[in-house]
Amino acid sequence: MTKILNKRMLCIFILILSLLAGCQPGAPTTKTSSNASSSNAKTLTIWHVETGAGEQSIKNAAKRFEDKHPGVTVKVVRQENDPYKTKLSVAMGGGNPPDVFHSWGGGWLKNFVDAGQVLDITNEVDKDNYLEAAISPATYEQKVYGVPIGMDIVPVWYNKEIFKKYGIEEPKTYDELLAIVKKLKANNIIPFALANKSKWPGSFYMMYLAERIGGKDLFNEAYERTGKGFDDDAYVQAATKIQELVKMGAFPDGVNGLNYDTGQSRQLLYSNKAAMEIQGSWIIGNIRNEMPEFEKKLGFFLFPAVEGGKGSAKDVVGGVSPVFSVAEKSANKELAVELVQELGSKETAEEMANTNGGISAVKGVQYEDEYVKKINTVLESAEYMQTYYDQTLPTEVASEHLDTTQGIFGLSITPEDAVKKVEEKAKEVIK
Amino acid sequence: MLKNNVEYSSVSRTPTELALKRKLSPKLKDLLVIAGFIAPALLIYGIFVVYSIGMTFYYSLFNWSGINNSFEFIGIQNYLNLLKDGVFWEAFGNNSLLVASSLFTQLPLGLIMALLLFSPLKGMRFFRSIYFMPFLMSTVAIGILFTFMYDGNFGIVNQILKAVGLGSLQQGWLGNENTAIWAVIATICWQFAPFYMILFRAAIVGIPEELYEAAMIDGANAKQRFLKLTLPLLMPTIVTSSILSIIGSLKYFDLIYVMTGGGPNNSTELMATYMYEETFTNFNMGYGSSISFAMFLIALVITVIIVTSEQKRKGAN
Repeated sequence: MTKILNKRMLCIFILILSLLAGCQPGAPTTKTSSNASSSNAKTLTIWHVETGAGEQSIKNAAKRFEDKHPGVTVKVVRQENDPYKTKLSVAMGGGNPPDVFHSWGGGWLKNFVDAGQVLDITNEVDKDNYLEAAISPATYEQKVYGVPIGMDIVPVWYNKEIFKKYGIEEPKTYDELLAIVKKLKANNIIPFALANKSKWPGSFYMMYLAERIGGKDLFNEAYERTGKGFDDDAYVQAATKIQELVKMGAFPDGVNGLNYDTGQSRQLLYSNKAAMEIQGSWIIGNIRNEMPEFEKKLGFFLFPAVEGGKGSAKDVVGGVSPVFSVAEKSANKELAVELVQELGSKETAEEMANTNGGISAVKGVQYEDEYVKKINTVLESAEYMQTYYDQTLPTEVASEHLDTTQGIFGLSITPEDAVKKVEEKAKEVIK
Repeated sequence: MLKNNVEYSSVSRTPTELALKRKLSPKLKDLLVIAGFIAPALLIYGIFVVYSIGMTFYYSLFNWSGINNSFEFIGIQNYLNLLKDGVFWEAFGNNSLLVASSLFTQLPLGLIMALLLFSPLKGMRFFRSIYFMPFLMSTVAIGILFTFMYDGNFGIVNQILKAVGLGSLQQGWLGNENTAIWAVIATICWQFAPFYMILFRAAIVGIPEELYEAAMIDGANAKQRFLKLTLPLLMPTIVTSSILSIIGSLKYFDLIYVMTGGGPNNSTELMATYMYEETFTNFNMGYGSSISFAMFLIALVITVIIVTSEQKRKGAN
């Protein structure tokens, strides 16, 4: 009987003990295991959002790094574009970030820099290797926090066959663009493919129209709070023009419910149902992945000038991507810095530019790809590059800009109210 | 039961046990045994439920981004902001809409499907599997599937409308602020009705056959048998299902996140998706926590109301 009782007590005891053991915070256990393995095998984790050819370039860079550092394994983890942002902030907040992570520089990366989560790599990076426009979004107060690899611009892509069939030329002015919209509409073709569920694709229209109307100083003054604001008349006009386009039927039905990531706008291009799409140069990578034969129909022009506007038709909207940074909490900082250097090397940048359709952020790269050569010419002749609002602005203002722009496309907010909301948020957040 | 066991085991006592017995009063010993059995579950519950709720409330008193170490204590300011936040109330409205449509669509639909499964038709097993299928599918898969079905240009919904001559109703369902919430709610109902079907089916199987036999001898027709027998005996299951459905709808997140992300223009925002957006996209962990805690309070109040009214009903019976 004692035995039975003892057994019972023992069972309960073991149950409770095992439970307590299970409830131990995970951090110490993982730390000991990584310490134990650090003598022979180290693992670095890298998070990125590239697909197709871009992903391959990153894997190749990781491979080169592994060859140079025997015993070090690099875990290359691909994240989906839109959920990535939240995933990284959860990982950062939870104190368990990847060693090397992707960003677009700008206001979003600054959140983490301000929170002390990103390693200052000013001394490890030679700024002169990179284009000024590419490294500046990852530089805050003269300190470098990330290494850029590629740059993208956002032109208007179009289907050359459709343009030829209806005798349409690339437009030089916004009025000509409107005429094209009417002509396509009359022929039962959707003028612009757009998938605006995630809000940033619609933002391109806002950025271009505002820049073409208000000139290149408009955004910088509003952002730096040194003159014009986000409620400037140019923004009202830009929003009004978007709503005119919506009312003309320039976009597919239910545009705010379509998802770029699942290809809902590109399907319209592939099936000849839509003629144009304003989208980043990464679309080339998508097309090569999904429907390579569409590439020969693809042409592009820059968003035309608006009559009477201050902006030049040569100015482009664009941005830097990817930028790779090292997490402050990384267990192997020195190795992670070296991995970032490998990712930011000329070799990686050249491969990525030629296969994925972006411009290299690293100087002295040889372009072989026909599109990339053309895009590079455009970028070189551009007088000004407008970086994406949602990457440049502080997160809360960026959200307000994206939300209101989506509302503008949905005709559920007036241009005046939309710009007022962004300005109010900017006043509150940017000081 | 426990007490009996203890007494039973004490029929033949060994000296050590007697010593133990003398030290601990029987009541205390019982308590120890009971505590031993409860402890594992209690610990898990305490850590993952009670502690989490406490911490959520604690965080909600701060202005904190969630990724850095600067906490700024601001008291109930987050809650005051919440009361003035139009988006939160819109989300709350959408949650209420979801609660109503779940109660009045999913439950009746589940009941009808459960009753159908008892009809003496051939191949009922096959239909049972088919009916249950939506609930077995992964939510993300359902979300993406329906996103394509609702697509304005290629979606099957619009094609069907066109085929039956309702072409004028064609639209991009998820992109239109007036239709998006209904499109998502329809999907949610499609996914969850089978769950209630299984609950109801199990309950109906549990009703003794003799009752129906007796009713038939008394001359009750099918309608009377359903209204006077099946329905009253299903009442406890209906109440449980209602609680599940209401609480589930109040904290619903998945399909909305996959299909619309709360958009367009917050028209399908729920409290949970808004909390997620504020916490992880806009870096407002403090404010997000206050939304979470408000959700908890709302769900708690509603549960208490349902449970007490149910107890009153039972008492009245």
